Amino acid sequence: MAPKKVEPKKPEPKKPEPKKEEAPAPAPVPETPKEPELDLKSIALEFTADQIEEFKDAFTLFDETPTGEMKIRYAQCGEVMRALGHNPTNADVLTVLGKPKAEEMNAKYLDFETFLPMLQHISRAKDQGTFEDFVEGLRVFDKEGNGTVMGAELRHVLATLGEKMTEDEVDRLMAGQEDANGCINYTSFIKHILSG
Amino acid sequence: MGCGVSKNSEFNKRYDKVKNLRHVLLKAMKAAVLIQRWYRQYAARMEMRRRYTWNIFQSMEYADLQDQMKLYNFLGYLMDNFTPSSSERNLISHIFRENEVCRDAEWERYFSYINIDVPDIYSGPRLTFPLDMDQVADLVEAFKNKQQLHSRYVLQLLLETWKLLRGLPNINRVSTCHSKEITICGDLHGQLEDLLLIFYKNGMPSMEKPYVFNGDFVDRGKDSIEILLILFAFLLVYPGDVYLNRGNHEDHIINLRYGFTKEVLGKYKLHGKRILKLLQKIFSWLPLVTVIDHRVLIVHGGISDTTDLALIARVDRHKYVSALKPPRKKTPSRSSLYADSERFDEMNICKNRRGSMTFPRPLGTRESFQRRSLQDFSRTVARTVEEEFEVRRRQAEFSMSSFSNSQRILGSAPSTESEPDSSEIIDTGSDDWKQILDLLWSDPMSQDGCVPNEVRGGGCYWGPDITEHFLNRHNLQLIIRSHECKQDGYEFCHNRKVLTLFSASNYYEIGSNRGAFVRLGPDLVPYFVQYQATTLTRGLSFRQSLKRTEHTALKVLREQLFVHKSDLLSAFKELDKENTGLICLSDWANAIERVLQLDLPWRVLQPQLVSSTTDGMLDYHGWFRDLALKRPSSECIEQSMLETLYKHRSTLETIFRIVDTDNSGLISFEDFRQTLKLLSAYLKMEISEEVINELVISTDTNNDGSIDIDEFMEAFQLVDKIRLERGKSLLKFKQEYQNLPLEEETSPSADSTGPQISQCSALHTEDSPGSHTEDCSSSKTQDLCDISVVVPPQ
Repeated sequence: MAPKKVEPKKPEPKKPEPKKEEAPAPAPVPETPKEPELDLKSIALEFTADQIEEFKDAFTLFDETPTGEMKIRYAQCGEVMRALGHNPTNADVLTVLGKPKAEEMNAKYLDFETFLPMLQHISRAKDQGTFEDFVEGLRVFDKEGNGTVMGAELRHVLATLGEKMTEDEVDRLMAGQEDANGCINYTSFIKHILSG
Repeated sequence: MGCGVSKNSEFNKRYDKVKNLRHVLLKAMKAAVLIQRWYRQYAARMEMRRRYTWNIFQSMEYADLQDQMKLYNFLGYLMDNFTPSSSERNLISHIFRENEVCRDAEWERYFSYINIDVPDIYSGPRLTFPLDMDQVADLVEAFKNKQQLHSRYVLQLLLETWKLLRGLPNINRVSTCHSKEITICGDLHGQLEDLLLIFYKNGMPSMEKPYVFNGDFVDRGKDSIEILLILFAFLLVYPGDVYLNRGNHEDHIINLRYGFTKEVLGKYKLHGKRILKLLQKIFSWLPLVTVIDHRVLIVHGGISDTTDLALIARVDRHKYVSALKPPRKKTPSRSSLYADSERFDEMNICKNRRGSMTFPRPLGTRESFQRRSLQDFSRTVARTVEEEFEVRRRQAEFSMSSFSNSQRILGSAPSTESEPDSSEIIDTGSDDWKQILDLLWSDPMSQDGCVPNEVRGGGCYWGPDITEHFLNRHNLQLIIRSHECKQDGYEFCHNRKVLTLFSASNYYEIGSNRGAFVRLGPDLVPYFVQYQATTLTRGLSFRQSLKRTEHTALKVLREQLFVHKSDLLSAFKELDKENTGLICLSDWANAIERVLQLDLPWRVLQPQLVSSTTDGMLDYHGWFRDLALKRPSSECIEQSMLETLYKHRSTLETIFRIVDTDNSGLISFEDFRQTLKLLSAYLKMEISEEVINELVISTDTNNDGSIDIDEFMEAFQLVDKIRLERGKSLLKFKQEYQNLPLEEETSPSADSTGPQISQCSALHTEDSPGSHTEDCSSSKTQDLCDISVVVPPQ
């Protein structure tokens, strides 16, 4: 039986916390300040058969190979995981893919069997962010303390900080959110995002 | 004195400020990352919904084509089983009426427009021939402004077009000399908005701007006749620079089912039938393919392993009026039936028919019909149908699918232009016939080889090896075809040797797909422009328009589930061995997959199709109740009968419309009754007089012995209970938890916010483009479209 690990609380929100494992195989790499190496083969799948069938359905939806080989490009991996209800950051996805180079993202393919443990790993992430986290964060931009932020400012932030969004993505997100003065009521904005 | 202290505190203050700033920045960053993550998840979910919605539409198209087969088979059955003495003969021969005028000389008189007066109040274009560019531009402008061209000018224009087309070869040959770029467009399907968009973006056809239009100009969309008139007008003005290929929808029998006939008869109440007749001839005279620079082949459907351009150059293309009516060749035959029919039809030449096709007959004949029991019918039908199946099975050349067998049967209807000999059989095996069918109906597939296209009932599925062989044989480098809707407007396959081009955006539903056109210069490198007509989605966010599209897709899917109700019920019962009335969701998905045979992500779709489960188990009887017809069953009419009628409703509706000769939207009780009886005999389903009466009474609100077709079909809508429930609970959730007024969800056509029973149909009519009148002037085309330009790497 693998020794229980006491994981230190992670400073950055990006790194997911691996759960304690019952796996007979050697336990995943211990925490170090550096990025740990991810050993996919050691991840035990905890999904039910039904869930796996559902994932397969979704995976097939994104399969663009002309003969339906049940493969997706690396670049699609994040999208499929998110479509299945998780929300890893782009960095998380790259980690789980084994840090591929940029040109590999559209050239290399992933089959369903390889995808499953990646999904399992991502699904264990706890740090999803609550409603309050969002509000707190946006409140920072609320200059007048009246519950609104300037749309332009928010756009700028989303496009320049963190995992930058493209102009198109920002447009999509903010469609219909700004009032006549270009202001956004951030509570309703967040509800809008969370309700999807 | 306090210098050091104040310096220190200054420093501290600044340090605090910086720390504060950093803290703020970190918070901002954290918030940004959170939002970005959530946005990406939201986008991925949207993408998944978009994809499965598209899959649903594609599957439904497949199912719809199956429906089309049902119509053909029914028509075939009718032709095959009724002798001149039966009283249904009138009804049936009307359905295949070809015999008003049979000699060429009489056509001129028949199509004459000279005596048609144009009233002074008519404000549309008044054409003078020969046409010039100014007139055509005016015509386009008039159509943009929703005007209708007067029937006099329509007939005149069509006559000129007919004359011109008769002089064209089967194969258009175009060259890109003089550095001309040629623009090629795919299916338009009556969507005028898209054609106008293309002209706006690319310019109208002219000597400097040649165009090829690759078929399927009509059906489904609501402005098919306007598109035809525009294309023909340009053809007349620039005969050397506008090329038209025939598509499989340039076919009057297809038009009966897919809306073009209805459109013309609706817009031209007085002269519609003549216009349609003339169009029938025009369609048959449309060229079959276009070749650019001896290098690029443009054809509507595709090719097969036997396609031979040399043969195609030689066929008499105008003999192929409809895919359902192969031409006949002389041989001794099953003479009696045809001889009789020929004589019978001769008797009816030039007879003026109005109103009911079953004009009053002496009592004796009526009675004899009634005396002939349905069992007799069934036995006759059963024999014939079985025989038919045998014949099909025995067919060595597999390409003689059920489709061409229906044609064989249907071919017995006399064609006006063929040889007068009455004892002829159908020549479905001829090379020519197959060549044309293949050109207009085939689809590419990814596997090698060539197999009959059983989904469409005509043409083939052809593989990359066939493409390779064909291109080599004819010294070509690319095939451009249309015929299939593609999400991005175009798609390459077969190693980029075959290009599918589709120019009708939002084809299945608003937001379902883009349209595209392509330009080829002397280097023959394709340059694509994609677009999506968006007048109806202006103001809607992406999410809202996706919601609408999704709603339509799911509605259509539910209808399919309903159609297979009895099979599904048996499948569920099989899995529910202990008869608890419950099955688990996984079994539900497996059963549906097996029964419907549609390649859809059922488990992903489940939350949309199943409103509630307890502990992961579904009460399937309850689920079926939610999938009910609006018209409830009664003592006479059983649920199963209603379901069967529902299954064949499109066939029923098509027949009704054919029979509705004056296009009033009403048919007589007698015709209604006859049609139902015929259908029920064909389906081997007993339908008693009580049932028919009940059906009539429940729809005949006029009580004058006529039945409103739309009203009758209206009853064959499904109640959308699931969505109703979902809408209600969503509303509740929003109001409670979020405490917000409903924003976008209250847009008139999107979500359900009230328990309206006819909600589905209300939504549907709102979606139909015709109901939006305020956006009429498409001079606002600038903000109408979402255009991107793509130059694929070579």
